[in-house]
Amino acid sequence: MRQLLRLTHPIHLVGGLTIWGVWFVAIYAGLSIACSIAPPDPESDMFTGINLGVGLATLVFTALLLWLAWASVKAARKAEVRRDCYFAFISAGVYLFSAGGTLFVGYPVVVLPPCL
Amino acid sequence: MSDTKDATLTPEVRQLHKGLDEVWGNPKGLRALTVVNHTTIGLRFMVTGAIFFLIGGLLAMLIRTQLAFPDNDFMSPEIYNQVFTMHGTVMMFLFAIPILEGLAIYMIPKMIGARDLVCPRLTAFGYFCYLFGGIILASSMILEIAPASGWFMYTPLSSGEYSPGPGSDFWLLGITFVEISALSAGVELVVSILRTRTQGMALHKMPLFAWYILAMALMIVVGFPPLILGSILLELERAAGMPFFEVAGGGDPVLWAHLFWLFGHPEVYIIFLPGAGIVSTLIPVFAGRPIVGYGWVVAAIIIMGFVSFGLWVHHMFTLGIPQLALAFFSAASMLVAIPTAIQIFVWLSTLWLGRPRMSLPMLWIIGFLVIFVLGGLTGVMLALVPFNWQVHDTHFVVAHMHYVLVGGMLFPLMAGLYYWLPQVSGRMPSERLGKWSFWLIFLGFNVTFLVMHWTGLLGMRRRVFTYDTAMGWDIYNLISSVGGFMMSAGVALLILDIALHFRFGRKAPQNPWGADTLEWAMPKPPTAYNFVSLPKVETRHPLWEQPELSRTIYEGRHGLNTIHHGRRETWGSDALTGKLRETIHLPTNSWWPLFASLALAVVCISLLVRVYWLAAVVALVAVVLLLRWSWENGVHPNVDPEASREPSDPPLHYHTMNGPGVWCMSVSHLANGSLYLSLLFGWFYLWTVAPQWQMPETSPLSMPLLVGAGAALTLGTLLLRKLVNGLRRGEGAGLGLSMYGAGGLGTLQTLLIIAVMWLAELSPTENAHDATLFVALCYVLILSSLGAVLCILQGLRVGYGYVSVELPMEPVVVVRLWYYNLVVYWSLFVAIWVMPTLLGGGA
Repeated sequence: MRQLLRLTHPIHLVGGLTIWGVWFVAIYAGLSIACSIAPPDPESDMFTGINLGVGLATLVFTALLLWLAWASVKAARKAEVRRDCYFAFISAGVYLFSAGGTLFVGYPVVVLPPCL
Repeated sequence: MSDTKDATLTPEVRQLHKGLDEVWGNPKGLRALTVVNHTTIGLRFMVTGAIFFLIGGLLAMLIRTQLAFPDNDFMSPEIYNQVFTMHGTVMMFLFAIPILEGLAIYMIPKMIGARDLVCPRLTAFGYFCYLFGGIILASSMILEIAPASGWFMYTPLSSGEYSPGPGSDFWLLGITFVEISALSAGVELVVSILRTRTQGMALHKMPLFAWYILAMALMIVVGFPPLILGSILLELERAAGMPFFEVAGGGDPVLWAHLFWLFGHPEVYIIFLPGAGIVSTLIPVFAGRPIVGYGWVVAAIIIMGFVSFGLWVHHMFTLGIPQLALAFFSAASMLVAIPTAIQIFVWLSTLWLGRPRMSLPMLWIIGFLVIFVLGGLTGVMLALVPFNWQVHDTHFVVAHMHYVLVGGMLFPLMAGLYYWLPQVSGRMPSERLGKWSFWLIFLGFNVTFLVMHWTGLLGMRRRVFTYDTAMGWDIYNLISSVGGFMMSAGVALLILDIALHFRFGRKAPQNPWGADTLEWAMPKPPTAYNFVSLPKVETRHPLWEQPELSRTIYEGRHGLNTIHHGRRETWGSDALTGKLRETIHLPTNSWWPLFASLALAVVCISLLVRVYWLAAVVALVAVVLLLRWSWENGVHPNVDPEASREPSDPPLHYHTMNGPGVWCMSVSHLANGSLYLSLLFGWFYLWTVAPQWQMPETSPLSMPLLVGAGAALTLGTLLLRKLVNGLRRGEGAGLGLSMYGAGGLGTLQTLLIIAVMWLAELSPTENAHDATLFVALCYVLILSSLGAVLCILQGLRVGYGYVSVELPMEPVVVVRLWYYNLVVYWSLFVAIWVMPTLLGGGA
C-alpha cells in the first residue's frame, strides 16, 4: 500500500485525472443539487454562494494538483531506476494537465450565474 | 516459417512443434464450435463484424437513395425510421466495437509474446453472445419490426406509449446481450495485457498498440454498464410498467439521456483509441524510426480515456441544463482536443524525422490524418454551446460524426487490415486494386460528408425522411448520395482485392514491412500457439534490435519450450516490471461457452415474445451451465489430467494467490461498480430532479432486517478474510468448514433481503421510488446469492481436493466478491434507508 503512495508508481499515471474526475463530479452534482434545493436570486448574477463554493473547490483542487505535479518532478529527478523516473515524469505531466483542466473547466464560475 | 527452416530443425524441436500442434490445434467439423483459441475467435469476430458492416452500409445506401431527391417515396416514413435507426445501431454496436475487439483479441497476445488470452473460454463465450445478439437484432429488420427511435433510443419516443411494437425491445435486449460480449472482452484484454506479457516486457516497454487497447478495454469495462442499466430499466418500464422514465410516475425521461450518453460519449473514444493505436504502430514502421515521444503518447491516451467520461452532457446542450453546467462540459469538451493534438503532432514529427515509404497501408493513414483532423475541428466547433444550439440535430452533426468515426476508425482499420493481412494469410495484397479502392472510398466519403456540412448549416434536420424542393437542399443531397455510391464501389473493390489475394497474392516474406513488433516473429499464417518458445524481450523494438528472434523462437531456444505435460501454457508476468511470476495454465476447447450463450439467447428471445416463465427457467439453466463451467477449473481432471499439484518454478498459477483469476475478478468489479454507481446516480437524480418524485415520510424497508442482512454479510466477509490470511501463512485447517460457514451466512443474508422485499409491499409499477428500490434490492439479492453459492461450491471443491493450502487461489477470488458486496450493501443502505430517513419525505 505504501508503495502506491510513491510518486514513481504507475498508479499515479491515473492519479491526477482521478482527482480531476472527483472534482468534476463533485462540482456538477453539487451545482445540480444546490440549484434544486436552494436556487439563488437570479438578480445576484454570478455573485452567489454556489459560485463561491465551486470557485473555492476549483482553486483548492488546482493547488493540490500543481503540488503533486511538482512533487512528481522531484521524485523523477531523485529516482535511481530508469523506469521509476519515466513513470514519475509522465505522472507529472498528467498532474499538470489535470491542474490546467481543473482551472479551465472551473473558470466559468466568475462569469456565469449558477442556475439559469 | 519456410520449409528450409523446417529442414534445419533437430528431431527434438520437430517433436516440440508436433506436440504443440496436438495440444493447441483446432478441431474440425462440428467440434470447431468448441474452439477457444484467440486467433480463431479474433478472426470470427472480425469476419462477423465485416458482415454487419456490409449490412449497415446497405442501410446507408437505402438512406441516401431516399434522400437523393426531394419528395421521394422510395421508402415510407415508418420504414425509413427503422432503416436509419438500424444503420446507426448496426454500425456502432455490431460493427465498430466488435471488429476492433476482434482485432485486439487476435493481435494482443501476438504483440506481447503470449500464446493466448488469459481466459480463452470467455473469449469464445463473448463471441457467441455477440453473434446471437446480432442475429436477434438483425432479424427484426427482416420481420419489419425493427427499432425506429434512433440509435440512441431517447425516451419517451422509445417508451411503450410512443413505440408500442416490439422494435424497442429488440434493441434493448439485443444490445444488452451483445454488450456481455464487449464486457467479457474488455475484462480479459485488461488482464492479459497487464499479466501475460512475455518475460522482461516492462509496462513502459510494451508496444503502444497494447497501451491503446488497455485504455480501450478499461473504458469498455467502465463505460458500458450505464447503458446496460439504462436498457434494463427501460425494458422493465416497457414490459412491467415500472415508470423510471415517465414523469407522471415520478420518473424522468432525461435520466435515459444521461445514462445513454454516459456510455455514448466514451464509446466514441473506445472506437477511436484502437484506430489511433493502429496509426501509432504503423507510422514508425513506414517512417523507419521509433515513434517520437512514446511517453507523450502514453500520457495522451490516459488523458483521453479519462476526459472522455466528462463530456457526455455536450450531447444534451439543448435539454435545458443551466448555463454554468453547460460551460463546464463545453470547457471539458475543448480539453480533449489537447491529447488528440499531442498524438497528431507525434505522428507528424515521426514522419518528418523518418523516411516515409508510401505503401498501401500508409495511404490509408494519410487519409485518416486528413479526415480525422477535419472531424476534430468541427468537434471543437460543436463544443461551443451557442454554435451547438444552432446546428443541433442537423446534418452538420451527422457530417461531423462521420468525419470523426470513419476518419478515426474505418481508415486506420483499413490501414491495419492491409498491414496485417500478410500476417493472417501469408500473402501480399494487390497495390493497384488497393489504391483504386482507397481513392474511391476517400473521394466518395468526402463528396458525401463534406457537402453534408452545408446541408446541415442550411437547416436540414437529421431524421426527416424527405424534404420539399423549396428548401434548397436538392443539389447537396444529390451530391451526397452520389458520393455514397462512390464509396460503396470502393468497398466492393476492397472486398474483391482481399478475396483475390488469398488465391493470387504473392507470398509474403517473413517481415514484409520491416516491422519491429513480435507478431512478425511467428510463422505465417500463425500457428494456434503463436510462439514455439517465449522470448525474453527488454526493448520496445524487438525485431529491429534482434532480427534473429523469429528464427530462435521457431527453433525453441526460449522459454516454455516443453509440451510433454500436455497443458496449454503461457507466462504470467509482473504487471509493472514484466518479471516472471508464474506459468499460467490455460483451459482448452470446450462446449460450455456455446451452451451458456445459447441458453442466454433463449432467455433473450423468451423475453422478446414475453413468455416470462420460460425466460425464468432458462435463465436458471444458464446460471447452472455457467457454474458447471466454473467447476472445470484449476486441477479439475478435465482441465489438468496430470493433476499438477507438485511445486514448480515458476509455479503454476493456481499454486499462487495472485493468479489471473484474482485480477479478472477485480477488473470485473470495475464493471460491476460502474453499474452500481449508475444505479445510485439514477436514484439521486430522480430524487432531486424528477418533478413528480414522491419520497414517503418513512421508509417502507425494515431497518432491523436490513441491518441483520448486513451483519450476516459482514461476518461472512470477516470469516473469509481470516481464512485467506490463514492460507497466506500456509494454514488450511477447517478450510472447507469455513467455506460452508461463509456460504451459510451468505444464504442468511439472501433470505433476509427477500424478507425485506416481501414485507416492504413495494408498488414498483406505480411509482419510480418503489421501482428503483425494487431494482436496487434485486441487485444486492443477486450479489448475495452469488456470494453464497460460490462459497458452498468452494466448500465442495475443498472436499474434492481442488482447493487447499497448496492450491489457494480460488478463495482469494471469492473473497474479493465478498469485499465488493460489503461496500455495495452498506453504501446502498445509507442511500436508500439512512438518507431518506434523515432527510424525510419532504426532501
